[in-house]
Amino acid sequence: MLFSSISFLYYFLPCVLALYFIVPKCGKNVVILVSSIFFYAWGEPKYVIIMIAMIFWAYISGYILDMCKSDKQRKIYLILAVGVCLGFLGYFKYIDFFIDNFNKVTGLSVSLLNVALPIGISFYTFQIISYMVDVYRGSANKQKNIIKLATYVSMFPQLIAGPILRYSDMEKQLDDRRSDIDDIALGIRRFMVGLGKKVIIANSLGELCEMFKSSDEKTVVFFWIYAIANGLQIYFDFSGYSDMAIGIGRILGFKFVENFNYPYISKSITEFWRRWHISLGTWFRDYVYIPLGGNQVSQIKWFRNIVIVWVLTGFWHGASWNFMVWGLFFGLLLIIEKKWLLRHLESSKVFSHIYLIILTVISFVIFQAVDMTEALEYIKSMFGMGGVSLISAETLYYLRSYGMILLISIIAATPLAKNVVGKLENSSKYRKIVGVGEVVYLFMLLLVATAYLIDGSFNPFLYFRF
Amino acid sequence: MINKNKVLVGLMAIYFVSMLIVSFIKADDEYSDTERRKLKQMPEANVEDILEGSWMSDFEEYVLDQFPLRESFRAIKAYTAFYGLLQKDNNGIYISDGYISKLEYPLNEKGLYNAINKFTYIYDTFLKDNEQNVYYAVVPDKNYFMAKENGYINLDYNQFFSILNDKLSFMNYIDIVNLLELTDYYKTDIHWKQECIEDVAKYIGSQMGVELLAEYEKHMISRPFYGVYYGQLALPIKADNMFYLNNQILSECKVTDLQNNREIGIYDMELAEGKDPYEMFLSGSLSLITIENPKAETDKELIMFRDSFGSSIAPLFVDGYSKITLVDIRYISSQWLDKYIEFDSQDILFLYSVPVLNNGELIK
Repeated sequence: MLFSSISFLYYFLPCVLALYFIVPKCGKNVVILVSSIFFYAWGEPKYVIIMIAMIFWAYISGYILDMCKSDKQRKIYLILAVGVCLGFLGYFKYIDFFIDNFNKVTGLSVSLLNVALPIGISFYTFQIISYMVDVYRGSANKQKNIIKLATYVSMFPQLIAGPILRYSDMEKQLDDRRSDIDDIALGIRRFMVGLGKKVIIANSLGELCEMFKSSDEKTVVFFWIYAIANGLQIYFDFSGYSDMAIGIGRILGFKFVENFNYPYISKSITEFWRRWHISLGTWFRDYVYIPLGGNQVSQIKWFRNIVIVWVLTGFWHGASWNFMVWGLFFGLLLIIEKKWLLRHLESSKVFSHIYLIILTVISFVIFQAVDMTEALEYIKSMFGMGGVSLISAETLYYLRSYGMILLISIIAATPLAKNVVGKLENSSKYRKIVGVGEVVYLFMLLLVATAYLIDGSFNPFLYFRF
Repeated sequence: MINKNKVLVGLMAIYFVSMLIVSFIKADDEYSDTERRKLKQMPEANVEDILEGSWMSDFEEYVLDQFPLRESFRAIKAYTAFYGLLQKDNNGIYISDGYISKLEYPLNEKGLYNAINKFTYIYDTFLKDNEQNVYYAVVPDKNYFMAKENGYINLDYNQFFSILNDKLSFMNYIDIVNLLELTDYYKTDIHWKQECIEDVAKYIGSQMGVELLAEYEKHMISRPFYGVYYGQLALPIKADNMFYLNNQILSECKVTDLQNNREIGIYDMELAEGKDPYEMFLSGSLSLITIENPKAETDKELIMFRDSFGSSIAPLFVDGYSKITLVDIRYISSQWLDKYIEFDSQDILFLYSVPVLNNGELIK
């Protein structure tokens, strides 16, 4: 089920919330768990079994880790427990990729298994690993109540596209949380903004990207329009989903981690990744980078650690070489920045911003390409080396037709509106107007998003494939 | 002091509960008049479909089709796209000077060549040996007159006609483009107006060696005509008036719908009051129709391969022929034509509109 679907928005969510607030406190986790399994089964009726099996594995592993007496035993069992989880992920997500590349290297023709990727497996696998590692490290206790553990792993607001929750952050909230009228209002605000970002902005930008892809008359300018629209679409799509997840979580009384913080205003790649997909970045930092030694090792090993983390980050996004190149691209940029460039970037705001935008736009061209051949062809064409003309009537038409949405999305990718509203709210003169205006604005967002859902069928969530 | 959070939560709760109740109470609609399509009904549940996930997909489509105030929401989307986001078109539909059109872009060479190949097959298989007079004419779409002038993209008409003229050189081309202008088309529909194409019919007739002299009375359909683009635009705009041309000869013609083995009229007044009034012309989409003119002063016959544009112009050819056979090869396969039609010495006219030729995959 998609957040941005009529069945979720108008049927599932109101019914679940009504039930959640009716049942006594002891039944609230059960309501979330049952509705989460229904939510997941709606999109993946068969693969819900995989998720349930992994939850049981996590539950058992928590007990075994707790029972292990020596550190060595605990370490060995952790490797086994995490290995099983990664085995599931590897089989469903990467097996055909490995077979395909094995065939290419050896010249053999081992048949592909054509395994379908269960929705959200990358997200809930990482949450389960987080639970196991947190229990191993002692930063969280083993969960005795399987309902609570299953609620943590399968929680529908963030089940299929994050943010990735850390068990240590959620442990207490699973036991005790409250949501008052202010939390609910905050959650509604966050959800509606996310809905608008996804349905109105990201989907419109997605349409523009589709127009580009289906065009027979691509030009240099059209390649750039595509690259910019694509980068913005990924941001609004993913951050919109995160906003909706955080909003629903807040209504239910949870405080999820923030996942995005206006990444496009960054002035370096280092800063960008502190603001983009924060929950994934911190997950890799805490569960891979730091255990590898982080930066507390020799320079060579430090760079090695960065490369490993970023290749894995890329590979987490998909079983394709372009994702690995995408990850490596960022890894190398981060090394260059940390070693030399960062201090220079700090001296020029304009240059550093242009640098950041160009590189991230290019990175997302690689990210969205079918393969590296397409990615390179697009990048070459962006710089006039693709044998295409500079501009055409078609390019101008789409620029005019989508100019406003591009402008709105560029402005909305900055904290400008948030800052203006914040200032007005602090002014006694405008506070009331802002209060009324906000309610009207949120209702308009809801109505317009509903209108877009009813009118159109263009509604993919980009991060579902991860 | 009013707590704005309470107001927000209260209003949202009222809205969602109201919509939930309305959607449960509201009876399902069978048909969308504006979109001219059947609406999805509640899918029947069975274990297999649920496990496959197809029931859920069908349910999603069902709730989209049956959502309360669906037309109002579609209008909100159109207003937002056109006036909020300043988009030039909404789902490919645009409006300029009160005329609604759909982007026909780009040139679909594959489709066009498919149409050409079918026409060539018909010529080679059924017509060439009889040395029949074979003509073709192309009806430009509204974009031809309004797209470029208003900053919209349209297909490359020069290339389009160049390909046609090059590949169909074995036929006689009748150029009717210069006889038409935007006002000859309905504002809310794809089609031309019958009352505006008498000159086109006469010109085509003259090019085929037939003089069309009939006079017609102009009648208006009482019901306002909301064409096919009206529903797709989803904005409230003024309806067209629909007229048809009639005379004694047309009233006495025998019109046979060979697809359904029944007699029909040149004009179906019941359909004129129906969901798509343009279907009044020769009863809409039918694969094979004959019009016999008992008052004909000639024994000449015409076989007309046509799309829906042909339905409104064909009655204007009746005056010059004893029998007209209308064939729509979107609904009947070309290879079976000789089972239904005896090709002899008839005049042959291929009359097709640009959108059908550009999407020529539809031609069988």
